Amino acid sequence: MKILVIEDEVVLCETIVAYLEEEGYLCEKANTVELGLEKVNLYEYDCILVDVGLPDGSGLSLVKEVKKCYPETGIIIISAKNSLDDKVSGLDLGADDYLTKPFHLPELNSRIKSVLRRRKFEGRQKLIIDKIIIYPENRLVFVEDDQLPLTRKEFDLLMFFVSNRSRVLTKESIAEHLWGDFADSADSFDFVYSHIKNLRRKLLERTGNDYFQNVYGTGYTFTA
Amino acid sequence: MKLQSKINIRFLAVTFLVFSVAGVLFYFALDKVVNQNIREMLKSRKAYIVLNLQQNPSIIDSLESPDHSIFIKRTEKTVQYTVFSDTMAYDQEEKELVPFRKMTFSVHSGNQHYEVVLLQSLLESEDLQMVIFSFMTVLFGIVLLALFFLNRWLSNKAWTPFFKSLSVLNNWKIGESKVVGFERTGIAEFDQLNHTFENMMQKIQADFVNLKEFTENASHEIQTPLAIIKSKLEMVLQDKTLDDQQHHRIRTAFESTIRLSKLNDSLLLLSKIENRQFVETNKIDICALVRSRLEYLEELFALKQIEVTIHLEKQVKFILNPLLADILINNLLSNALRHNKEKGKIEVKSGNQEIVISNTSERDEIDCSRMFRRFSKQTTLSESNGLGLAIAHEICNSYNLELNYQYINEMHCMTIRQKSQISTNS
Repeated sequence: MKILVIEDEVVLCETIVAYLEEEGYLCEKANTVELGLEKVNLYEYDCILVDVGLPDGSGLSLVKEVKKCYPETGIIIISAKNSLDDKVSGLDLGADDYLTKPFHLPELNSRIKSVLRRRKFEGRQKLIIDKIIIYPENRLVFVEDDQLPLTRKEFDLLMFFVSNRSRVLTKESIAEHLWGDFADSADSFDFVYSHIKNLRRKLLERTGNDYFQNVYGTGYTFTA
Repeated sequence: MKLQSKINIRFLAVTFLVFSVAGVLFYFALDKVVNQNIREMLKSRKAYIVLNLQQNPSIIDSLESPDHSIFIKRTEKTVQYTVFSDTMAYDQEEKELVPFRKMTFSVHSGNQHYEVVLLQSLLESEDLQMVIFSFMTVLFGIVLLALFFLNRWLSNKAWTPFFKSLSVLNNWKIGESKVVGFERTGIAEFDQLNHTFENMMQKIQADFVNLKEFTENASHEIQTPLAIIKSKLEMVLQDKTLDDQQHHRIRTAFESTIRLSKLNDSLLLLSKIENRQFVETNKIDICALVRSRLEYLEELFALKQIEVTIHLEKQVKFILNPLLADILINNLLSNALRHNKEKGKIEVKSGNQEIVISNTSERDEIDCSRMFRRFSKQTTLSESNGLGLAIAHEICNSYNLELNYQYINEMHCMTIRQKSQISTNS
């Protein structure tokens, strides 16, 4: 899988690339609209991450260009502007997702995976993790042919962990993934804990495996 | 006190003083003239009597005129004299004692000596005082009246440019891009004042815009380094070779970065609201919004065992930006949740163009003057950055809504209400 990261802040760009390369993606960097367009015209990418505020123009213009030439490429907009206008116009232009800075890297990773699933496999892909089989489009989970009933939040949680396997997911990033803006409501960490406890118990009962690991006070890791 | 009244009082005092002094001086001057006249009159009478006596020396001992004004008697004294004195005598006509000027003098006629007494009533001079006093009073009254009308006319006429400038200043809102101009008045002082105002307003406006831009740019620029710190720390946290202590330290730094980033977000949002950068407005069904948000939070309520009562039968629609409406309701509901106690209550009620969100809390009534101020933390909860309510308040302010806090029946109530038309005009 090939990903192009267009971001003018070099350090941030490198961090994103480093994280994604660990996930096994092939990454390219660009820090201007011009360079981005050049790369887009040379190679075909599966997914493009583009910052809105670039030194030589808006990343939104690039989105338009890419959509015209490579309609099957997934596009995720990254922006420091928490503005609805940007979000709406970005999505209208054909971007698949929108992320505001500062974001959690696992969140970005999970969004990329979801975009790729939708784009490349038209959502029909099934994920097999050990004894667990997930149909992301239908939001169904099976353990050895038996359906595992999960609540909406539990499913989101499982997908987030599965997308970021073997990663330490902080309580903050989990809370933000589940509740977005509400993540800073009091006790949301307790709630993360109780959700993970339930999910862990359900999976343990069915599969006999404990996939979750507690990492100090920081968060959790999903290993299979 | 109005300038008008102040001037009037001074004017009144000075006029009063001038009139009293003038009245007194006038009286003395007239009195002197009258006295002089009486003296002259008595003298001329004396001359007449002396002449008569010398030509026709009388043989009678005494003689009195019917009106008692002349009294002549023979005397043995040979000294020559003329004496003036004041006395009181009974006046037949007036039927009372009245003051008289008395002139006593001696006359030689042949070898006879006479003493003559002449009396002249002073009543007229008293009348004169009376006339002067009443004249002065009437004049004083007339001057006052004239002054009153003059001032009114003057204030209407001469102060018009002043009041015009005042209304321009009153209508001026800092931050509005509208250029405020003063009319030329043609009066040097007012034009000078208006010119000073114009310069001042331009300076204030420029400073304000600068400050706004600075705040926004600063917040915006801070965003990227924060994103870098956050992602780098997140990467380090992935490292499984870290020992407990190192992990804990990085974890603390990570948490603080997240807090800083949220704080920065909120500040940026506040400055954007203040700068009126959310242009789009819609008629938002607040009840539907609250319902969907409550649904979203349902699990968090359940975890804290909070009982939620919903009375949203009456439809409430406010005109505001959709994103800000979301933030407003989010902030108020999060607040009601965050500051609630275990097994507490949250009540959401819609009324006539108003919506009330109330919650129980461990805390008693909160000082509402500090409530909506930035960073006025009332708790030590680290998740709260003290900006949530300030943002809610600012949103309401920008869209002609009112956000009020009340403490009723041990419930903290937040009310959003459409501001009445009257209060907007004022």
